[in-house]
Amino acid sequence: MGRYVVTRLVQLVAITFLISVLVFLLVHLLPGDPTLAILGPNDTPTARHELLAQLGLDKSLLQQYWIWIRNVFSGNFGKSFLTGQTVANAIAVALPIDIELIIVSQAMAVIVAVPLALLAARRPNRLLDRIATTGSFGMLSIPTFVVAVLLVLVFAVQIHAFPATGYVRFTTDPAQNLRSVVLPSIALAFGSIAVYYRLLRADLIATMQEDYITMARSKGLSTTFILVRHALRPSSFTLLAGAGISIGSLFTGAFVVEVLFQLPGLGYQLVNAIYARDYLMVQGMALVAAVGYVVINFVVDFLLTVLDPRVRRA
Amino acid sequence: MSARGRGVRVTGDDRDVDRYDRRTFLGRSAAGAAALALGGIGGPVLLSGCSSSSSASTSAKPGVGTGTPKRGGTLTVGLNSDIDGFLPSTNHFDNSGIVYANTVYDTLTAVAADGTAQPYLAQSISSNADRTVWTLSLRPDVTFHDGSALTADVVVANFRALQQSPLTGQAVKVITGVSATGPLTVQYTASEPLVAFPYYLATQVGYVVALAQLDSADPSSHPIGTGPFVFDSWEPNDHFTARRNPNYWRAGLPYLDSITYKPIAQDQSRQSSLQSGTIELMVTRDPNAIVSLQRDPSFQQVTDANPAHGQNDVGFIYLNTAVDPLSDLTVRQALACATDTAQIAKLFGAGVLQPITSPYPEGSPYRAPDNGYPSYDLAKAKTLVAQAAPRHGGTIKVELATIPDPRLSELVQAVQSMWGAAGVQATVSQIEQVTFIDNLALGSFQAYTGDQFDAADPDENYVWWSPTSAGPPGTIALNFTRNKDPELEAALQAGRTNPDPSARAQAYQQVDTLLARDLPYLWLTTNVWSMTGTDKVQNFDNPTLPGGQPARGMTAGYFTPTEFWVEP
Repeated sequence: MGRYVVTRLVQLVAITFLISVLVFLLVHLLPGDPTLAILGPNDTPTARHELLAQLGLDKSLLQQYWIWIRNVFSGNFGKSFLTGQTVANAIAVALPIDIELIIVSQAMAVIVAVPLALLAARRPNRLLDRIATTGSFGMLSIPTFVVAVLLVLVFAVQIHAFPATGYVRFTTDPAQNLRSVVLPSIALAFGSIAVYYRLLRADLIATMQEDYITMARSKGLSTTFILVRHALRPSSFTLLAGAGISIGSLFTGAFVVEVLFQLPGLGYQLVNAIYARDYLMVQGMALVAAVGYVVINFVVDFLLTVLDPRVRRA
Repeated sequence: MSARGRGVRVTGDDRDVDRYDRRTFLGRSAAGAAALALGGIGGPVLLSGCSSSSSASTSAKPGVGTGTPKRGGTLTVGLNSDIDGFLPSTNHFDNSGIVYANTVYDTLTAVAADGTAQPYLAQSISSNADRTVWTLSLRPDVTFHDGSALTADVVVANFRALQQSPLTGQAVKVITGVSATGPLTVQYTASEPLVAFPYYLATQVGYVVALAQLDSADPSSHPIGTGPFVFDSWEPNDHFTARRNPNYWRAGLPYLDSITYKPIAQDQSRQSSLQSGTIELMVTRDPNAIVSLQRDPSFQQVTDANPAHGQNDVGFIYLNTAVDPLSDLTVRQALACATDTAQIAKLFGAGVLQPITSPYPEGSPYRAPDNGYPSYDLAKAKTLVAQAAPRHGGTIKVELATIPDPRLSELVQAVQSMWGAAGVQATVSQIEQVTFIDNLALGSFQAYTGDQFDAADPDENYVWWSPTSAGPPGTIALNFTRNKDPELEAALQAGRTNPDPSARAQAYQQVDTLLARDLPYLWLTTNVWSMTGTDKVQNFDNPTLPGGQPARGMTAGYFTPTEFWVEP
């Protein structure tokens, strides 16, 4: 186990390094010029030259990368070209929003999907299973932004149960914080519920065909007991792997929901920074999102080895 | 009294002295009202209906307070964008930026409802006979939020920061000298007559910030002004909050305890936020949102459509006159004839936007009675295309682009269809904003959608239209279309330097006519901004100046919250 973890950690460091290079290069390959974003239409060649020097953008890419990565290792992600805000501060403000959205939305998804899959797998192809399977198709096919708009229209505009936009920090007002994340979390959970349900249902049905399940049945154990105690764990590997990918992608993939609900999370800030060619902000945020993705999947891999020793030996 | 040949003076409170107002500035010409719009400025200053004899407090007019103003309370306003910082010399103040700035800063002058530039932080402003030297006297006993005093030295330091900044330096380069000639007196010297100078001081270059902010290591993130509210917090893309300035120089103001701005980029989200009670007031320029909210009786709405004075932003298409095939005037004429602006207004205006043939609004003294702008004529467009096509390889091909905006994307598709009907092969694309601006400045485009030219005084558009700002493609130029008409430059110079109102009106009518002749822009529709609030929000469009004179109301999505109040 220890060797496995060390190997994966080395891989994680290597991947993170490659990501940092890739992020840096991709950002600098973007068309457009940050000096124009900063100077606006009042740009002049002289002003542009001065600004490039001031921002360090007149140096070679290699020099720029070295300066950036050296600073990152010392905790200095740099400052926004536009607002002067430190990137570390911007990340510290944005990241908790994403983490909270991820936790709440994925908790919602699991709470709904797992029992639903258990119920469906208990009697495959019966009415409940068919309704749930058809429903999950529908949930997958509805774009997140449509769900978000409908939620706002019903729960914010019509019955005023939740705010339409905005985020209240937990430290400011815990109750308002929960109110502010309910609708965006439902919007994000909507697709995940369908995916998790379908993955788990399929694996549960397959598991229920295994010999050891037949043995359990022959002992007179109830189907519900067998599902929960004997089938759920071995059926959850695909679900867990899927959740890892889903959670990792939500670090920045919640962009549409963040825009619609005006939540200044990582995705929202990152896209704004891309539009403004705010290089250091883009690099810092993209690096954090990518590292988050890798770490989440590392944790998932680790959990899989705990749940299924065969993975370790593979 | 003629304005020609003598100096002018305006005071903040005394209206019997020589005035820099409509009467002296434009005279009583047949043209009538001046079009002295506020171009990206912080001018509108609000005064409550109850605070002067010109009270409108019993009116049920939207945006005008009814009853006695209530002190206290908080207000949350939804804006369309966020600011990139608070330093006038380095940060970009779009309409939201101006709102933030108007909350914590004051401008030296402001635009009155009658279109004149009036002193604000200044007590008076006067010039020499040829308008090359302007002298400004400041109000006494005005303090910044950090307790420091507003003095001539502070104003000079602010102006020098503007001169040294790449962002604002070009806008003020005509001012070659600025000095403090007394504790509260500042003198500006211009390299040429600058008739519109008081209007410039009502724009971004007219805000005054404290020396502590100017000297700060991070001057963009913590504003220190003299304004009605004191900066409290700013979280980019989330909120900006300011609290009442207890020592505001306008006695008894502001009414609100605090105000919070929430940048909500999506119009639909902003509208939902208003309808759900998340915000209490919002701005928008989306015609559909304007109409939708107008129909809802639970809200009150004001718009800047049909301005009595001034020149609002207009919607148009930039045509790059320096690249083939648009360097061919016949092609540009063909495109103008093929563009059915009435249909565009019908399709995308929701009854709010109107088709236009000039950047100057109806009733403006600067609008030519008949500028000769080509009207929609498909048959003529086809003929012109047939004439020009042989010079361009047999086919006229034009690339039309816009920024990623759903409404503009549909608009360019409609225009593509119209041009196609005339025989022009148009391709359309969306280009992300920074690259879009980059291409405009460098002349790396053929036809781009535009939205610009809001101005308090027509001279504010000099830099965009002057041939002196038109470089060849590949170099940065502020005259994006690269139109180099010497007659246009002569007309712009006449308007810039001649203090005679009639002569200025004539000059800008000539500008209007020449733009219609040269066709660097295809005029499309008006732009309309609105403010919509719940009944709880009072007096959000009832501005007055310190002396009680009505000030210009909401324009181009910006306002000053000094005299807003909320019903408990």
